[in-house]
Amino acid sequence: MKKTLKHEPIAGRTITRVIKYIVCITLAILSIMPFWIMLMNATRNTYEIQQSSISLVPSSYLLNNFKVFEGKSFNPLVGFKNSFIIAAGSTLLNVYFSSLTAYALVVYHWKLRQPFFTFIMAVLMVPAQVSSIGFYQFMYRIGWTNSFLPLVLPAMAAPAVVFFMRQYLLGALSIDIVNSARIDGANEFYTFNRIVLPIMKPAIATQAIFSFVGSWNNLFMPLILLTDKKNYTMPIMVSLLRGDIYRTEFGAVYLGLSLTVLPLFIVYFALSKYIIAGVALGSMKE
Amino acid sequence: MKRILALVLTLAMVFTLALGFTGCGKEEQPSAPGGTSAPAQPGDGGSKPQDTSTPAPSVSDDPNVKVLNLWSFTDEVPKMMEKFKELYKEKHGQDFPYEIKETIIATTEGAYQPALDQALASGGADAPDIYCAEAAFVLKYTQGDAAHFAAAYKDLGIDVDKLLAEAEIAQYTVDIGTRGDGKLVGLGYQATGGAYIYRRSIAKDVWGTDDPAVIKTKIGPGWDKFFEAAEALKAKGYAIVSGDGDVWQAVRGSAEKGWIVDGKLNIDPNYEQFLDFSKKLKDNDYFNDTTDWSDSWFADMKDAGAKKVFGFFGPAWLINYVMAGNSGGEKPGEGTYGDWAICEPPVGFFWGGTWIIANKDTKIPKTVGEIVEWITLDSSETGLQYYWANGTLFGPGGTKDTVASGTVMKKSDGTLDFLGGQDMFEVFVPAGEFASGKAMTQYDETINSLFRNQVGEYKNGNKTKEQAIADFKQNVADNLDIIVE
Amino acid sequence: MGRKKIKSVSYAKYGYIFSIPFVLAFLVFTAYPIFYTAIIGFTDLKGLGKTDFMIMDNPFQNFQQILKTPSFQKSLINTVIIWTCNFIPQLLLALLLTAWFTNQRQKIKGQGAFKVLFYMPNIITAATIAILFNVLFGYPMGPINDLFKLLGLADKPINFLINKWTARGIVSFIQFWMWYGQTMIVLIAGVLGINPTLFEAAEIDGATSRQVFFYITLPSLRTIMLFTLVTSLIGGMQMFDIPKLFLNGGPDNSTLTVSVFIFNQAFSGSYMYNRASAASMIMFLIIAVLSAILFYILRDKDAAKMKKELKKIKKAQKAAARGAGA
Repeated sequence: MKKTLKHEPIAGRTITRVIKYIVCITLAILSIMPFWIMLMNATRNTYEIQQSSISLVPSSYLLNNFKVFEGKSFNPLVGFKNSFIIAAGSTLLNVYFSSLTAYALVVYHWKLRQPFFTFIMAVLMVPAQVSSIGFYQFMYRIGWTNSFLPLVLPAMAAPAVVFFMRQYLLGALSIDIVNSARIDGANEFYTFNRIVLPIMKPAIATQAIFSFVGSWNNLFMPLILLTDKKNYTMPIMVSLLRGDIYRTEFGAVYLGLSLTVLPLFIVYFALSKYIIAGVALGSMKE
Repeated sequence: MKRILALVLTLAMVFTLALGFTGCGKEEQPSAPGGTSAPAQPGDGGSKPQDTSTPAPSVSDDPNVKVLNLWSFTDEVPKMMEKFKELYKEKHGQDFPYEIKETIIATTEGAYQPALDQALASGGADAPDIYCAEAAFVLKYTQGDAAHFAAAYKDLGIDVDKLLAEAEIAQYTVDIGTRGDGKLVGLGYQATGGAYIYRRSIAKDVWGTDDPAVIKTKIGPGWDKFFEAAEALKAKGYAIVSGDGDVWQAVRGSAEKGWIVDGKLNIDPNYEQFLDFSKKLKDNDYFNDTTDWSDSWFADMKDAGAKKVFGFFGPAWLINYVMAGNSGGEKPGEGTYGDWAICEPPVGFFWGGTWIIANKDTKIPKTVGEIVEWITLDSSETGLQYYWANGTLFGPGGTKDTVASGTVMKKSDGTLDFLGGQDMFEVFVPAGEFASGKAMTQYDETINSLFRNQVGEYKNGNKTKEQAIADFKQNVADNLDIIVE
Repeated sequence: MGRKKIKSVSYAKYGYIFSIPFVLAFLVFTAYPIFYTAIIGFTDLKGLGKTDFMIMDNPFQNFQQILKTPSFQKSLINTVIIWTCNFIPQLLLALLLTAWFTNQRQKIKGQGAFKVLFYMPNIITAATIAILFNVLFGYPMGPINDLFKLLGLADKPINFLINKWTARGIVSFIQFWMWYGQTMIVLIAGVLGINPTLFEAAEIDGATSRQVFFYITLPSLRTIMLFTLVTSLIGGMQMFDIPKLFLNGGPDNSTLTVSVFIFNQAFSGSYMYNRASAASMIMFLIIAVLSAILFYILRDKDAAKMKKELKKIKKAQKAAARGAGA
């Protein structure tokens, strides 16, 4: 259905096109830059990096840096496994239960609905650092150290995601869909799981990426709670590489950082299909 | 919430009292001598009671315990245990009977201390038997709020007095490791007394000689001589140091009293002097105005800066682990490698180090005592320090380093090609005695950082000296629980 | 003549049921620590490892002290400045890119790749970025300084990190750069939620891309925009990792944000948890007020009108019922 409209001159359009491309390419380079630097540094050794932190061309120490890993008993596979369990677990819980809660806020009319929402917003506004002390002390007290549970379960209560899902539903969900499902005899759970969730795919994909990235990169809480070597996540292992003040192997650190980022790329590429493709909405029965 | 929470927490509790190191940031490590710490501490400076008790006569291990918990922030000490196990087998004829459970948490995110504190407080089977503390926060564990967890070395059956004398342990490490009740609870294995590390060729060019005995009289003792030397170097187009951070390390160690006296903020005249030094260095162009640990600072180690730099201040680890690699070469003749020498600095100081502390509730005090003694007080040729000094812990040819025991250094070979064949122990043994641990406080890391910020403002001409000091006081009052007048 | 009773109440209980997991997890993992924090704001809890504390004689002492502290006041101003300089360009750019990338008529080739790339800065940890930028602006030698020299913009090296305004500018820029991709993605997800029939109708009516964007896309994005604005506001007010890691609030407290201030109260040696908590509560209040304002401005006016109409009808019904009964 592409009609060329008469009141848009072709020359103007081409210029706009060119500008758009220039801007996008510049931004793309700007965005890629740190990754490139990180990758390049992963192939250099400590002294090269100390002399000049940024280099656009690789050097030859990549294998060396891998050997440093062995020396420091840095096992990337273990790190990947642990990070993945935690990140995937928390993302799944996060996204599912937030959608569920948002659905409750939007579709049902219940007395505590508005206060509950205000409450969720209020929670969002409390600065995060301070509540975390109480959190980890609490975890120590109930003996949940060295377990993945305290890192995964709290994801069920994620105010920001609930907020996002709610806003999205407000804009994208028409109550008629739900009603038609009810008329068809579906129970509420079925309606939510089979009908509404698919509608929310772009929102879910978006939040899933953010949640996964956030959990994957999270360093502090795992660092404090997971003290046993076999439970270390990738960021923890990378931070260990930086432990020796004067003997830090920077090349290995950057290699560790690059490895840490790699899976994020993969997950992102996998999920971005949903955002790019543009899931067809409006599954209204006309 | 998740995104904000996760990202904020990702590096939330960064750099509490731990090393504020991120590779290119400023590295602040309180050194200063002595024990003036938090207001709640008994006594000021060096007036601690003498410990005249005798070591515990019979210490024994609980036979039911099979695990030894070792906590550290690097793999340095855990790796030493390999050698210890070997020697144990030779000495006792049987394998080391315990499984060593290592917990290594880096200090870079400020997470080591909270976890360690929690583990110590929780007690039980998972509590650390032996734990390490870095110079930046060791005071908390030997004299401050966490000192009550520590075991007195004597209670572990170690004959402290005899061994201290035998090993000639540097006084500053003893001062720092001695608790307010006079008992020794921690010692370092590595000595980090500082020296002035200078370029031989530049020395020859300016003064006709590179002999340490002569150079040390040119740059000191005392700062007045140092600046005279700076002038002489400038005349020939050289800088005396790379940045004011280098001078700071030495100034830090020479204060008479620490930042806190009687619970109030105290600006020692030596610290105040630093404001003037910084400005002088900048106004007279005696340096390259670099920031320590930045690219430009490293570049000055191989003459890649605006002016050639005459020297750096630092302990042995600076030489072996930092400068050697950044000198632009690997053997004499390449880059600045081999063109260096060391001499005593204008004032004594120390920078860094790791202290070993044992838990007073450990169930295996005999073995723990043996380990601690081997690392910190054993000055024989099978003691850790001898291996460490000669670089032979993991076989021949390892990196040499200075150790706490003067005795060990005297019988070790500290010659380094990097120093043109000079034996580094000759300078570092007296340097260790020079250094003092008397003016340290628990808050040094933060206060030092705030102070240097203001010094920077004054140095760059953004504020007057009075304004800088006033702002410094305000910042301390804002961020710390100290009375500021 | 019975009136038909509209059965809409029976589903209400699902509202409660569906919310239970969230509430449970929340109470256990978040509520307790937050509550604890709020209480501490009124006590004298400070120092390492202490667990007992008492309510202070003047319960608001901590709050008063914090409000008077010059660093706190500075941090508020800094936070506002840095946030504004970061958010406005970020939102504008994100909107612009969203417009370009959802433009049905002029499809940019490689859109997918661009979207992916723009989000990337968000994936790296703040620590790495802080180091990189620190190095970029190195003094006296560093890539940007070298660039300036090359382009003849300066003959002596400039210390970017010592000047208050450039330092703030750089922090704003870093925040902008880290988040614009994410904002863009959120907005695009929102656009994808708009009913396509609206767009088709617009095309039939002959609207230009610009008209489509301003009259259809933007208004329909209102709900998502509210999300973006509020979360950016909250996130911005709580800006912590970059200011802390990049320059640690310097130079001379010019990049000190409120979160960094709070952190320093708690963790720079004196463990003054009580003051940190009080400051957190103050910040919370400020954010709450600002968010409430945002919610009000961006409220769905149609829905509000409908609510009012419904209320009027209900009132009339009640009056009629009473009248009929009387």
